[in-house]
Amino acid sequence: MRRIELVIFSLLSIILFSSCIREEEFDDTPEGNLEALWQIIDQRYCFLDYKAETIGLDWNAALVKYRQRLNPKMTRLQLFQVLCDMLAELQDGHVNLFSSADMGRFWNWKESYPLNLNDMIRDAYLGRDYKIGAGVKYRILEDNIGYVVYESFTNATGEGNLSDMLYYLRLCDGLILDVRGNSGGALTYSSRLASHFTNERILVGYTCHKTGPGHNDFSTPEAEYLEPSNGVRWQKPVVVLTNRECFSATNTFVRDMRQCPQVTVIGDRTGGGSGLPFSSELPCGWSVRFSACPMFDAQMNQIEFGISPDLYCPLTEYDVQRGNDTLIETARKIIKQQ
Amino acid sequence: MRTIYLYELAIAFALACLPSLARAGDELSARPAYEEKSAFSVAIGRTHQQDTYLSPLDYSGPQVTLMHEAMRMTHWAQRRVSFQSLLQGTFSYTENHPATANYWGGRIAYDAGWHRHWQPLPCLRIMAGGQVGTDFGILYNNRNGNNPAQGRLSFDVAASVGGFYSFRLRRQPFVVRYQADFPLLGCMFSPQFGQSYYELSKGNRDHNVCFAWPGCAPSVRQLLTLDIPFRRYSLRVGYLSDVRQSHVNHIKVHDIGRSFMLGFVRHLTIQSKGKQ
Repeated sequence: MRRIELVIFSLLSIILFSSCIREEEFDDTPEGNLEALWQIIDQRYCFLDYKAETIGLDWNAALVKYRQRLNPKMTRLQLFQVLCDMLAELQDGHVNLFSSADMGRFWNWKESYPLNLNDMIRDAYLGRDYKIGAGVKYRILEDNIGYVVYESFTNATGEGNLSDMLYYLRLCDGLILDVRGNSGGALTYSSRLASHFTNERILVGYTCHKTGPGHNDFSTPEAEYLEPSNGVRWQKPVVVLTNRECFSATNTFVRDMRQCPQVTVIGDRTGGGSGLPFSSELPCGWSVRFSACPMFDAQMNQIEFGISPDLYCPLTEYDVQRGNDTLIETARKIIKQQ
Repeated sequence: MRTIYLYELAIAFALACLPSLARAGDELSARPAYEEKSAFSVAIGRTHQQDTYLSPLDYSGPQVTLMHEAMRMTHWAQRRVSFQSLLQGTFSYTENHPATANYWGGRIAYDAGWHRHWQPLPCLRIMAGGQVGTDFGILYNNRNGNNPAQGRLSFDVAASVGGFYSFRLRRQPFVVRYQADFPLLGCMFSPQFGQSYYELSKGNRDHNVCFAWPGCAPSVRQLLTLDIPFRRYSLRVGYLSDVRQSHVNHIKVHDIGRSFMLGFVRHLTIQSKGKQ
C-alpha cells in the first residue's frame, strides 16, 4: 500500500470509529423526567455549593427524597408538583418549571416578606400629570424633588429617553428613583439607567460562568464596569427605593447604583436573583429555567439572596392610614439634608 | 440513527480505498475530459439536531438545501487535478419529540476542493484530494430565555474522495457520482459550557475558538448523484447526507441531515489556446 493510501486509511479509520455524538436522553417516564431534571440542575445550576453552605442544600439527597414520591401511574399534574417541590429546594426565584398548564415557581423571596409598597399611595404621589418616557414614569414633587418610577426593566428605554427625563428634572434638588415592585428584565436597560449616575468608569461587580458539569467548574471571574453615559448625567443626590420585589436585573441595578456617588439606597433588602438564567427541557417537553452564571458585587460577595439597603425603612401602617409613603417621605428628608 | 450513520461511514470508507484500483489503471488511463460542470440543486429531506447548549433533546424536522457546485479540470499534473467549488445553504425547522418547542436553523457552507483523478477503467474515474471550507450558521430555539440561539462558525481542511461511473442507456451518456468529504483539521467557535452570549457581547472570552479534528468533530458530507442527459443540459437526481458533529467545551452538537436532490447541470467545454 502506498504512503498516500496509508494516510487516507488511517484518517478515515479515525472517523469511522468515532461514534455519533449524542447526549444521553432519559425516558419520558416519571423517573426519567425526574432524573433528567436533577441532572440538568446538578451539572448546570451555578449555586449548588453556595446554597449547600448557606441553606444546607443537599442535592444528592433531593434525588432520593423525591424519587420516593414517584409511581408509574401518577398523572402529569402530580409529576409536575413533585418536580416543582424538588426545585423549591434550591430557593431560587430564577428557577421555574413550565408546562402548558402551569408555571412552577419559588416566590418566597417576596411573598414571605412585607411588600413595603402601596400602589394607590404611589399613584397619588405621581398624580395625573406625570410624564411617561418609554415605560419610565416621572414628575417633579411639590418640594422640587424629582420622582421617577421604573416598574419593570422589560420596558425598553433608550439613551434619549433617559437624557430627556433627566434634562426635564435638571433643576430639582435631588432625585428619588423608585424601583419597588420591579422584578427585573434586561440587564442592558438596568445598566443603561445606572450609567447616568456616574462620571467615570467604575467597578460594580464580577461575573463568571460554568466551564463544565462539575459543581466547582467555574471560569475566572471577570470584572464588570459601569461606563458613564454620553447623555445627561445626574450630579445631585439620588435616593433609590427598594423592596423585596427588586429581583434579578433590578438586584443588579441596585448593586451598580451602590457604587455610584451621591446615591443612598433605602427600603427593604432586595429579593436577590443574581444568577443569569438559562433554559433547558425535560423529555416530556416541559421547559426548565435555572440560574447559570453567578454575578457578584464589587467586593466579590454573593448577592443571590439580595442586597441590604443603606437605611432600612419599612412602610408603616401609620403613614398608610394618612396616605403617606414612608419611604418617599424619608427620601425627601435625606435629599433636603444633603 | 447510530447504525445508519456507521453504515454510511462504512460505505464512504470502502469507496475511499478505491485509489488502490487506480494504481493498476493509471498507465491505461485516457486523458481526463477538459470540461467544466456547473450544477444547481435543491435538496429536500429531514434532519436531526441536538445542541446541549440549548437543550438535551434531539429535534427533528424538514430541511431544504440549496447547492451550487462547479467542477473543472486544471492544468496541474497533466490535467489530472480538478478544482471544485461547493456552496451550500441549508434551512431547517425542527421540533422536539413532544412538539413543545422548535428550532429554526440556517447554515451557509463554502468549500473549495482540489482532487487528483485516476481512470482505472474507461467507464470509471475516481478522485481523491482535499478541501478548505468555512461554515457559518445559527440555530434558534423559540422559547429559551438567555440562551435562545447558538451560533456556528468554523474553518476546516477536509479530505475528499469520490468517483464517477459513466454508462450509456439508449445511447445516452449517464454519470453516477459519489463523493465523501471529511473535515480533518480546523477551528470552530463555541461558547463555553455555561457562558451566555450576553457575557460574550461584553467582551469576555473563554476558550471560544476551539481546535477541531475528527476526535471532537467527526463530520462527513456524502453526495450520490445521477446526471441524466437532457438536451444541452443534464438533470441531476441524488442523495445528500450531511453529518456535522462536535463535542467541545462540554457542549455536544449534532446536525444529521439526509435529503433527496433534484437539479440541473450545465456543461461547458473549455477550448485551451495555450500549450497542449
